[in-house]
Amino acid sequence: MSYVAEDTLPERPAVLAKVKPLATLPRRPLVLHHRDFHWITEKICGIVEKPAPTWWYVCFVVSLGIASFLGVGLLWLVSTGVGVWGLRSPEFWGWDIVNFVWWIGIGHAGTLISAVLCLLRQKWRTAINRASEAMTIFAVMCAGVFPLFHVGRVWFAWWLFPIPNSQSIWPNFRSPLEWDVFAVSTYFTVSVLFWYMGMVPDLGTLRDRAVKTWRKYFYGVLAMGWRGSTRHWRNYEMAYLILAGLSTPLVLSVHTIVSFDFAASLLPGWHTTIFPPYFVAGAIFSGFGMVLTLVLPLRAMYKLHDLITQYHIDCMCKIILATGSMVGYAYAMEFFIAWYSGNIYEGFTFINRAFGQYAWAYWIMISCNVISPQLFWFRKVRENTALVFIIVLFVNVGMWFERFVIIVTSLANDFLPSSWGYFSPSIVDIFTFFGTMGFFSTLFLLFIRFLPMLPIGEIKHVTPPADPHYHPEAAQTGGHS
Amino acid sequence: MKRIINHPAPSLREASGPRYWRSLDELASTPAFKDWLEKEFPAGASTLEGSDRRSFLKIMAASFGLAGMGLAGCRQQTRHLLPYSKQTDRVMPGVPVFYTTSLPGAEESVPLIIETHDARPTKVEGNPSYKPTGGSTTVHAQSSILDLYDPDRAQRSSGANGAPLSPAQVMDALTKLGSSYDASGGDGLYFVTDKSTSPTRARVIDKIRNRFPKAVWAEYEAIDQGNPSRAAESYLGKPARPLYNFAQAKRVLALDSDFLHTEPGSLGYARGFAQSRRIQNGTDADPEKMVRLYAVESNFSLTGANADHRLRLATSHIWGLAALLAAEIFSLRNAGSSQQTIDALRQMGAAVKADNVDIAKWVSECAKDLASHSGASAIIAGPQLPVELHQLVLLMNAALGAVGSTVTFSELPEHPAVITLAEVGRAIDAKLIKTLFILNGNPAYNAPGDLNFAAKIKAVPEVFRYGYYGRQADETSTLSSTFIAGLHYLESWGDGLTWDGLHVPVQPMIQPLFEGFGEIDVLALLGGDRDPDAYAYVRDTFMARNPGKSLEEWLAVGVAGKVFATNTASPSMNRVSDLVTAAAKFQVPVVDADHLEVRFIPGITWDGRFANNGWLQECPDPMSKLTWDNAIFISPKLAKEKFPELLPGYTQMSKGPLGGLLSPQTRVNDNNFVTGREIARMGEVTVNGQKVTGPISILPGLANYTIVLPLGYGRKVVGQVGKNVGFDANPIVSSAATVSCSASGATLKLLPDTYRLANVQEHWSMEGRAIIREASVEDYKAHPTFVSEMDVEAESPPIYGKDKGLSPQEKSISQPRGQQLYQTHPNNVPAPNVPVWNSPEGLKDFPTPQQWGMSIDLNTCLGCTACLVACQAENNIPIVGKDQVMRGREMHWIRLDRYFASGPSKDGTYTDTNDLPEDPQVNFQSVACQHCELAPCENVCPFMATLHDDSGLNTMAYNRCVGTKYCADNCPYKVRRFNFFDWNKREVGEFYSGPLGPDYYDSDASQLTRLQKNPDVSIRMRGVMEKCTYCVQRIEAAKINARVKARDSGDTKVPDGVLVPACAQACPTESIVFGDVSDATSAVSIAKSSDRNYAVFGYLDIRPRTTYLAKIRNPNPAMPDYTAQPYSREEYDARYGHKAADKS
Repeated sequence: MSYVAEDTLPERPAVLAKVKPLATLPRRPLVLHHRDFHWITEKICGIVEKPAPTWWYVCFVVSLGIASFLGVGLLWLVSTGVGVWGLRSPEFWGWDIVNFVWWIGIGHAGTLISAVLCLLRQKWRTAINRASEAMTIFAVMCAGVFPLFHVGRVWFAWWLFPIPNSQSIWPNFRSPLEWDVFAVSTYFTVSVLFWYMGMVPDLGTLRDRAVKTWRKYFYGVLAMGWRGSTRHWRNYEMAYLILAGLSTPLVLSVHTIVSFDFAASLLPGWHTTIFPPYFVAGAIFSGFGMVLTLVLPLRAMYKLHDLITQYHIDCMCKIILATGSMVGYAYAMEFFIAWYSGNIYEGFTFINRAFGQYAWAYWIMISCNVISPQLFWFRKVRENTALVFIIVLFVNVGMWFERFVIIVTSLANDFLPSSWGYFSPSIVDIFTFFGTMGFFSTLFLLFIRFLPMLPIGEIKHVTPPADPHYHPEAAQTGGHS
Repeated sequence: MKRIINHPAPSLREASGPRYWRSLDELASTPAFKDWLEKEFPAGASTLEGSDRRSFLKIMAASFGLAGMGLAGCRQQTRHLLPYSKQTDRVMPGVPVFYTTSLPGAEESVPLIIETHDARPTKVEGNPSYKPTGGSTTVHAQSSILDLYDPDRAQRSSGANGAPLSPAQVMDALTKLGSSYDASGGDGLYFVTDKSTSPTRARVIDKIRNRFPKAVWAEYEAIDQGNPSRAAESYLGKPARPLYNFAQAKRVLALDSDFLHTEPGSLGYARGFAQSRRIQNGTDADPEKMVRLYAVESNFSLTGANADHRLRLATSHIWGLAALLAAEIFSLRNAGSSQQTIDALRQMGAAVKADNVDIAKWVSECAKDLASHSGASAIIAGPQLPVELHQLVLLMNAALGAVGSTVTFSELPEHPAVITLAEVGRAIDAKLIKTLFILNGNPAYNAPGDLNFAAKIKAVPEVFRYGYYGRQADETSTLSSTFIAGLHYLESWGDGLTWDGLHVPVQPMIQPLFEGFGEIDVLALLGGDRDPDAYAYVRDTFMARNPGKSLEEWLAVGVAGKVFATNTASPSMNRVSDLVTAAAKFQVPVVDADHLEVRFIPGITWDGRFANNGWLQECPDPMSKLTWDNAIFISPKLAKEKFPELLPGYTQMSKGPLGGLLSPQTRVNDNNFVTGREIARMGEVTVNGQKVTGPISILPGLANYTIVLPLGYGRKVVGQVGKNVGFDANPIVSSAATVSCSASGATLKLLPDTYRLANVQEHWSMEGRAIIREASVEDYKAHPTFVSEMDVEAESPPIYGKDKGLSPQEKSISQPRGQQLYQTHPNNVPAPNVPVWNSPEGLKDFPTPQQWGMSIDLNTCLGCTACLVACQAENNIPIVGKDQVMRGREMHWIRLDRYFASGPSKDGTYTDTNDLPEDPQVNFQSVACQHCELAPCENVCPFMATLHDDSGLNTMAYNRCVGTKYCADNCPYKVRRFNFFDWNKREVGEFYSGPLGPDYYDSDASQLTRLQKNPDVSIRMRGVMEKCTYCVQRIEAAKINARVKARDSGDTKVPDGVLVPACAQACPTESIVFGDVSDATSAVSIAKSSDRNYAVFGYLDIRPRTTYLAKIRNPNPAMPDYTAQPYSREEYDARYGHKAADKS
């Protein structure tokens, strides 16, 4: 604009001179009701320190019960054979890999929130990052169960690692499954480090507040001698930033590599270049869906409305809306590419997905993943917590079906019509999947019981009093800087 | 270290025979005695008191004695268990020995070679010395080896109430039987035997007939195939059979005949037919040079499947059609028939109608075509058709000038008169029978329902039964008063005659596994021979038939002597008018939706005799693709008219809007594959008040109102494998029907129940894809390169890039192969890690490895499925049972894909796959691992368990495989098979019990079945992937042999043709060719040099070593059902091909 000569511009309307907009719009505070440091400490530590509520015990027992399904399912599987699952020719992969990709996708939000949003200085991440990192770790653990146990002879799975063995053979570094091993294990390691390191100051707080001896030792060991000195804080901040930098590419790489399991094959419906970005967007989408699924009940149960505010929910809903639309775009693009390529096998696969025997799964996927998040355009929807909860449940379901559609429909009707077949899961498939859900919630319940669910230090950091230039009347930024 | 020695359980003989004991303790079998026995040193031995040298020696003597007793329970006789102190000639441990023998049958014996490993037969091959079959085999020959090791076979003879009989007791019983009838000359002694070609058996039976002149003999085969020879005999005055020479034939008409598959002589016929169908290049394509096959049939047989023109017609209408045809042929050929006779013939066929084709034109054009190829045309009729029809066919063949060229009459040996089973039944009713001797067969199960034969047997005072299956596994054996255990043909001496009359031996390969008697022995005993020696009988027969010939040579080569003499007489045309008069009884019955016709066909278990054979039960039927069941097959037309609820409301391809979510009529009862399994409605067929019930399956291509019922299923008293398999159709078979194997006036009623069928192929359409490429012969002539103009690769960049100009041989050597990270080197230099060869000295010795490849000619593949069973036998492929087949887990390394194709559906498109075609063309394609040079399975395996070797094989390292199954996902041909369970360790039906279930390895049955296993192929455990290896064990054996032969010459190449994988060896039509593709002169290179050669999914650039030769059909443009291109090609063109491109 500045290159345009003044005289060529139309005349400035006079009304603009009268309008005097505010210098800055007030930003929504990240902690409501001007809660002070003490309140925050008491609130978060109180969850861990007070006796567990009844609902926790109920949930824990139920989760443990469901988790036992996993144990029984795997015991049966390992002792008897992979045939106890519904796998068959041509669907040599079924629910096992669907569940793997689903859980891995869920595992994406945690690191994205803690690393990418940290680098992008999105301060609203602080309220939710701890819980979503824990979710990530547990989700990756659940994910790992499936590729590990879906192999025929799990006792030889260690051959995947490039370590000396009696056969003197390297693993095949060209196989996407081998890449998975490295990608997922790296991601898991870095996520655990990140999660744990971020928790050290809060563990210090819990240690300092501990009354019982076992707590002192428990948190004392975990806090690793944290004293809160400036030097500690400085090192901590630096390490946190480095880990955030390290994790950021991992967020993109893990699901990219998981998508290579399919993209590097030659099956119509799998062999496509759109998969890496599409899978990453889908992973973030499902990850945020799961974060909201977990955080909304916790917020209600522990009355965390001042710490996890409507603003946080808004932000997450918007991310879901954005990534959901990306996923929807990818679905449309797949169709376009299938048509544009002129490859008859590719074309058939996509028509068959939408209108063939698995069309029900496809349309569940479309309605859950593409249509339902579009409701988040409306503020009223975003502010209706119950509705948000229902929609994110749809997102979780939809993303499971997305993986189902990709994996099963492509395999069920591939090149040779003579080999086509219909996949249906066995009871053990279903048990094992629900078992991982129990396993996940067991771990998550233990986490909220024994570890600080929200980062005390980081939340304090984004309250107005943490601002060195804080002045109660002048506080306009609400923690944003 | 303590060794645990399991003493063998006492043999049956010990258990049943007189018992010897050494002490009262042993007799009482006290625990103290057992304890004492099991200790290495008996209690007293270690202490000085109470034990002196004398008692020690006594104890030792007792121990040795008992050890000897125990050893007597071992299966083989101890004197044969001596180690070779000198190497026996030609026997080397680990090296198989081959012997000749033959598979005895009712009408023909098939010459075989048996592979034996350490004296146990493991594999059946055809005998290549017998030219008509050229070493090919049928599924039944291939699977017969499994029967030898059937745990359910009779292991001993038994008397009334099942009390075991020792061999001596059996011999006594037979002697007693003989002497009791000596006085009366056999009055009241009736024999029911199966049919046999064995001259020795005939000789021994003659002895019995001489001894008991009043004894009555009946012959019974549930599936009787003797009508052609009966007709020939009636016209020539001597026993004779028509013998066809399809290699010379250019025009063939099959009247309800399955001469390529289920009829006797089919192996040789298929071979001859394929020979005159084979084309190398488009330049040779000529409708005149290539055989053209017309078929008229009610069932959809493999012969119909391979026909160029196929007319669906009820079996009971075949007579009428033959009459129409005869009228045309006689008038065209001026064959001496009066106009009056011709008119009478026309009148006979006047009622024959078909709804979609002009019968008159069909018949006249067909007749014209046959008549214009005089001497090179032939008509063959199915053996279930009446003798009069066969007589008419003889006359037509004579009129066509076929007799003496494409049809000859071979003279059969004279046979004594026998009565039918129905007459035996009447004799039982008249209480004429005192003793009934049933030799083989199973009439209690498979006699026509109206005879009620099982009940009648019970009324006979004394029933002797000789059979392979005992009281627990055979309906007839259970009813016998004396059951004599039979032996497998590989355990006893015998002989037989091939279809054209060569004398072939049945040589035993192994000592009888159980106490049993050979057929010849039993008959000889009855004939009065006290100490029969079957070998001596066979030898004498041979000597008598072939004076001056060497017995050893006969046994070594497996065939000898002369074929049947040819009867040069030709049936006189004067007989036509007599025949017309005689055949006036043949009306064309009304066959419509309310008066259905039932056509019985032999199932894969034949007449039920192979019901306990797991390989056969799991071998998919070529047309319906059903395993482990038979079904009531009905035509789509009948389903549409009468039972619309049977029609799929949707199929895999279209489940209604939104995948059936919104379709309210989602039914579970219809005949569809929506859940991956064929869920069939039960139906009830009623003929003359008799009923059978079974699952209904809609099979395209049947005559509209003919119900097809495979026989041989639903056995009631049968071994473990055959239990609960299919339903028994025999109750509605009538002994009085004019056309055996057919009944009319039937009705079909739907029952509310459903039944799950194990169908291995859920989708019937090729979906317009260029998987099987075909053309009519005219089109092929005009466009010889049509195969390369199809599918995506026609538009994609050249597969070999800049090397596309290289010859196939150069490509096979110079192109990279494998998809692993390990370095691949060109095939013509040694691997870098072989230092010996990488010196200039060594390089001279380095032979470029031969490059293996395969070619499958779809033009001659008939779909007989012999390759599948041969592969199963060779490669130790387990059976998985019906439940697992329904779950899509069958293990066959090679499978036969079957596709139906028809013209566009009513709306003019090809996409409505709900519309089952009524009159389809069918295509078969055998698919095994294609050994892609750039195999997509290899790069995705993280464990490096599947790799390429230097000779182009895609190999599978089982012990490296951990079972991610990724390779199978990425295989476009879906030929990889996964061991979802321990198929070999667990019993069928116990897979889900895992370690809690019984361990099959420990079972007695396993002791027997494991003897069949090929020791050159490993048994795969659960959790590993397996697939076709191109029979790598044979490749390695051939390479070792070549190296041994080469000695220092360095010529270690395996000569072409020496190395044959199991599938190619079994193939009757030689459509599978295997060999070295780097040698331009090898048979496989020549086959691949045809312009019909193509790779399925070539566009994927995976470069499969197995390629296919396109199918060529030879339709007659004058026929009313003529289409310029085969249906599948039309569909391809319309949906994806140039026609589609032109339209858009």
